[in-house]
Amino acid sequence: MTKILTQHFDEPKLHELETYRRLGGYKGLEKALGMSRKDVTEEVKKSNLRGLGGAGFPTGGKWETVPPEEKSPGPRYVVVNCDESEPGCFKDRVLVTRAPHQVIEGALIVAHAVDAHDAFIFVRGEYQNQYDVFAKAIAEAEGTGYMKHCSMKLMRGAGAYISGLDTALLETMEGKKAWPRQPPPFPTVFGLMGRPTVVNNVETVSMLPHILVNGGEWFAKIGVPKSGGTVVFSISGHVEKPGVYEFPMGVKLREVLAAAGGVRGGRRLKAVIPGGTSMPPLLEKDLDVSMDFDSIRAAGTMLGAGGMVVLDETVDAVEVAHIIGRFLTHESCGQCTPCREGSAWTERILERVLDGKGTPEDLPNLTRLGENVAGKVICALGETVGVVTRAYMTRFPEDFKKRISNG
Amino acid sequence: MTLTTMVKSPFTPEQEAVLKKWTAFYPHKQMGLIEALRSVQEWDRHIKPEAAAYLAELFGLPFNHVWGVATFFPSFTTKPTGKHRIGLCRGLSCWLAGSPLMAKKLQSTLGVAAREVTKDGRFSWEEMECLGACEQGPALLVNDRLQGAATEEKISLLVKELK
Repeated sequence: MTKILTQHFDEPKLHELETYRRLGGYKGLEKALGMSRKDVTEEVKKSNLRGLGGAGFPTGGKWETVPPEEKSPGPRYVVVNCDESEPGCFKDRVLVTRAPHQVIEGALIVAHAVDAHDAFIFVRGEYQNQYDVFAKAIAEAEGTGYMKHCSMKLMRGAGAYISGLDTALLETMEGKKAWPRQPPPFPTVFGLMGRPTVVNNVETVSMLPHILVNGGEWFAKIGVPKSGGTVVFSISGHVEKPGVYEFPMGVKLREVLAAAGGVRGGRRLKAVIPGGTSMPPLLEKDLDVSMDFDSIRAAGTMLGAGGMVVLDETVDAVEVAHIIGRFLTHESCGQCTPCREGSAWTERILERVLDGKGTPEDLPNLTRLGENVAGKVICALGETVGVVTRAYMTRFPEDFKKRISNG
Repeated sequence: MTLTTMVKSPFTPEQEAVLKKWTAFYPHKQMGLIEALRSVQEWDRHIKPEAAAYLAELFGLPFNHVWGVATFFPSFTTKPTGKHRIGLCRGLSCWLAGSPLMAKKLQSTLGVAAREVTKDGRFSWEEMECLGACEQGPALLVNDRLQGAATEEKISLLVKELK
């Protein structure tokens, strides 16, 4: 089984600089610093690395859209997104706790590739322990000379899910409400304080040292044709062994579930949320789906950030839809009226159905609500409300009908 | 920086120094605002209008900007929290792991509803959205530190130890 990011996770002191270096750490950065910026980007393009924070955008391609110095003179920034907040996702937390230098080394490689001299790691406020781990690791790295080309500073969030979206993250960093921006321009052109900024996820940047050391082709071969390397899944819910599991891109869902010990207590599987609760659930019939950005779309869902939540046969789909709807309503930033109102009404109707007070019109109304938000909002949160609610209604119609006829 | 207008500082000189540090920590002054608000929330357990006015002056921003940010983010409150702020995750994975039972336990142990403060001012509890500890649900956030695998016994012990 190929592992990249978690290959040394049985080393108890991997978080310390000395151990990390002994196991080959900072060799990728050393190699990158000896290469031209263009060659580093080319190597990463060859690797088919895609953004593992959820969007799946090709990483090398993103860097290429940073305008050259002569076209945009002045500072450019690198931001590592450690604002993991999607329900079901916790792999960034584990990656940072166990291997903070892997993240720092990766960020320094990005900085070299895009000619940035200031990098920031944005850590969600709830990850205070990880913030401390980073602070210690950055201090260690500063003593080595690895950071001559780029400084690194930490910043904490303040509890808003939407801050994890790149443009909302930049607004948060600028000391504003986390209201997503309407791109274009994209952050690589107009980012932090209006300057070109590359925002990459913790897991994405962690891959970079390995790509530099072993080559882009090596990485590409591990995955599937359009998505190289591995992916770290966070697995929680009704499994025997919840935790993080690293697999090559394109692994079968069945294999991932088996690694986590299968459904707890020998119960039957009802559904698997593949990428965090904003992604529609997969069913037992989907167990042979390939877990990579493109294949999984055929099954009507998304890989997201690999946050898998396993639901057994005892779970009621209406309760699950209500919890997700309540979450999205709470986290809607309020900037776009259709999302603010649509999410709140969705939650209210789902609550009514849950309480057994639903009416037959509630289900078509929920569908209509979702459709009326789609295409009228800046970011994906608003659309997600409708997509996810519809997904539970169409996949588990009996759970919804039962509640309504009982009312 | 010296304050030139009539905003009276609600902070001690030591606290003022910390806030001033945040104005100079990042390449642009305003980038320090969230961290400054985090400090104020920690000291005062909420953000008072006077504190927001002081920060507005310090960061060179309109009061409404600072107040808007302070009321946008869930970590900041305009009503005091307890000395110990306990968050219970209500995300899907923690719900599957039994978080509703833990909500009842917190309420009965502390004797106050969510977001209310105990009479002695020591505790408040609230439900929070996904804390990122899904594999160890039900998760708690105790004074900004994650604690996994909450049980009724652990909650009793936690409240006893924090007293």
